[in-house]
Amino acid sequence: MADNNTFDAIVVGSGISGGWAAKELTQRGLKTIMLERGGELVHIKDYEKSNRPVWEYPHRGGRTQQMIEDYPKLKRDYPLNERNLHYWASDKDCPYTETKRFDWFRGYHMGGRSLMWGRQSYRWCEEDFLANEKEGIATPWPINYNDIKDWYTHVEKFAGIQGSYENLAVLPDSHFLPAMDLNIVEKDVAARIKAHYKNQRTLIIGRTAHVTAPIPESPERNKCQYRDMCWNGCPYGAYFSTQSSTLPAAMKTGLLTVRPDAIVKEVIYDKETKKAKGVRIVDALTNEVKEYYAKVVFLCASAFNSTWVLMNSATDIWPDGLGSSSGELGHNAMDHHFRVGAGGEIEGYEDKYYFGHRPTGFYIPRFRNFAGDKRDYIRGFGYQGAASRNGWGREVKELSIGAELKDALSEPGDWRIGATAFGEMLPYHDNTIKLNKDVKDKWGLPVLDMNVEIKDNEKKMRVDMKEDLKEMFEAAGVKNVNTFESDYAPGMGIHEMGTARMGRDAKNSVLNGNNQVWDCKNVFVTDGACMTSASCVNPSLTYMALTARAAAFAVDELKKGNL
Amino acid sequence: MNRRELIQMIAVVTGGVVIGGEFLVAGCKSPDAGPGMTFTENDIAFLDEVAETIFPKTTSVGAKEAKVGQYMTVMVNDCYDEQDQKAFHTGMKTLDDACQKMHGHGFMKATPEQRKALLVSLDTEAKEYGKKKSEFDKVENEKEKTQNANANATKYEKQRMDNHYFTQMKQLTIAGYFTSKEGRQSATRYEPVPGKYIGDYDYKKGDKIFTSLS
Repeated sequence: MADNNTFDAIVVGSGISGGWAAKELTQRGLKTIMLERGGELVHIKDYEKSNRPVWEYPHRGGRTQQMIEDYPKLKRDYPLNERNLHYWASDKDCPYTETKRFDWFRGYHMGGRSLMWGRQSYRWCEEDFLANEKEGIATPWPINYNDIKDWYTHVEKFAGIQGSYENLAVLPDSHFLPAMDLNIVEKDVAARIKAHYKNQRTLIIGRTAHVTAPIPESPERNKCQYRDMCWNGCPYGAYFSTQSSTLPAAMKTGLLTVRPDAIVKEVIYDKETKKAKGVRIVDALTNEVKEYYAKVVFLCASAFNSTWVLMNSATDIWPDGLGSSSGELGHNAMDHHFRVGAGGEIEGYEDKYYFGHRPTGFYIPRFRNFAGDKRDYIRGFGYQGAASRNGWGREVKELSIGAELKDALSEPGDWRIGATAFGEMLPYHDNTIKLNKDVKDKWGLPVLDMNVEIKDNEKKMRVDMKEDLKEMFEAAGVKNVNTFESDYAPGMGIHEMGTARMGRDAKNSVLNGNNQVWDCKNVFVTDGACMTSASCVNPSLTYMALTARAAAFAVDELKKGNL
Repeated sequence: MNRRELIQMIAVVTGGVVIGGEFLVAGCKSPDAGPGMTFTENDIAFLDEVAETIFPKTTSVGAKEAKVGQYMTVMVNDCYDEQDQKAFHTGMKTLDDACQKMHGHGFMKATPEQRKALLVSLDTEAKEYGKKKSEFDKVENEKEKTQNANANATKYEKQRMDNHYFTQMKQLTIAGYFTSKEGRQSATRYEPVPGKYIGDYDYKKGDKIFTSLS
């Protein structure tokens, strides 16, 4: 085998998890190759739209009928837009099938969805790791909060999470950079909610991976400039992405090779050693098949794609793929269900406004089924929202046309507040993804078929998700509160989780407590696929912590000669 | 705030109708322009005058200077579905005919005062029509929801009342104006790089809105 194909470690995928794996493995001395199925996308240089004003887009950032035709699935939600369309995977080249509707929004390029993510970053709490076991749901987590606590701190110090110290059991504090401000209306609503619910409910600043003060370990990153342009890639490196953060750190070690346009089609499994030898790829541009070899393989290809790689691997031994011996590979798919909430009007504050375009809103942490509360469903939800003054898009009923209308819309309107709930979805064995060999992608590879739905527990929760917010807003003096519930299809949260879950027992889980595939110990899966349950908070920070933890473990095991 | 939340909130604010943004949710028919579905230079001049009447030059530039006529044609051509395109094209003629009826000559020959009088009356008409349309749409949405809840029933083909052409023109004027360089730089406080966030910022009547690059 050629030298340039042999490494200590292979990382599949370059998103949030892959970037972290590459950084940690190289910083711990492993010669590593990071394989990315999509094309190269260079920090700053390739953010071609990061300084483009809206008027330079032919359709001012909107969507055309042609785009709708070209992206039959992406069109189902906001990702289909003129601003960052090139960051979303093509429905035509990379199809998937739906036994039940599933909105799968993917980023196939260097950095993956770390470029387009919402950047909301929250720790899980102790209860999140205990709930499955307490309630007899799915299978217990093999780790608890204490196992991951220091790893959260480790990744937070580098990723840079702005937020406020609140000392809440339900939402443990991170190692924070200085918090962005709530605006004056949000502050007052927060105080009223706190008083009304006697400290049992809180409204805090949404915690995000934005730099608000220098990070010594990541000197290339600059402070957020409050431009409202995150989705195009940040030329200041103000938000955490592979490009702004983990990739430069890994490159600095001199041990990282980056290989774009490499679609990993399978892990090469060696029957003799019962370990992986490496991976087999298809070159996305030339269709050439190539092999890379290493002592450890980290699958960080995004939840469902990491499972897809496993399903296509070692099928001569396990027909359903590497890691399928428990019968759980491809099962227990999850997302966060949302698109339900409320909004209303705020009286007064006519002499107040805000300056700058804040890249986060407020967050109301979970309060249901926590600290003694008990509902007719299990688990909970949090809210993300904002208060703002209405802009030029508002309706001015009393005005018709002419100078009066133009002048009125040139000034801010009344204040409003609104929020959307994000709820935990349980891991159901029959929520599955599986290979559909009848349909092939552009490279002749079988595609995934999705069969995922929300069930009674989520449907009951959605009633509270709507009504609780209405009640809270009304208690805080918000007027004319309206609730809304839009159609939600699994996947829309873009928080795919599960399908290769961690567990305590090889008989009912795919991965052990160190993210190792039970059936093949030198293969680690550390992205959303590994999740045993979903919590209700945004998951990326937990992927970072799990990945860093697993990478440190892998290097230790290698040193001990166990891998 | 995430873009997805923003869109949700706009829906809450406007009751589901994003002004100047209905193309965000428009369904797909055919992208091909049918007969009589193209715009001429004269059409652009005509639409510029309509837009200028809706948003005239004051201390800030007018819609014509912000090239709103041109913008309207691009949006109708590329972003509107066929039903909306037809309503818009037919609407241009309807508007001119209404001017003929009200003032005895076409819109291009009308004085600014005559134009304004016409469009004020069309705005009232469009608002009345809009109420009927939203009632109709509500009923259709319910029908669709009920029928599609039954997995065995054939999928309900929702009917959609045409948008009123003047609502289209007004929405496009507002959106086109505030997303144009000229409009944004003269009618708003355009802050491409604020550098900081202040959540308690003094405001006095007459101060303009802040806008960003996006």
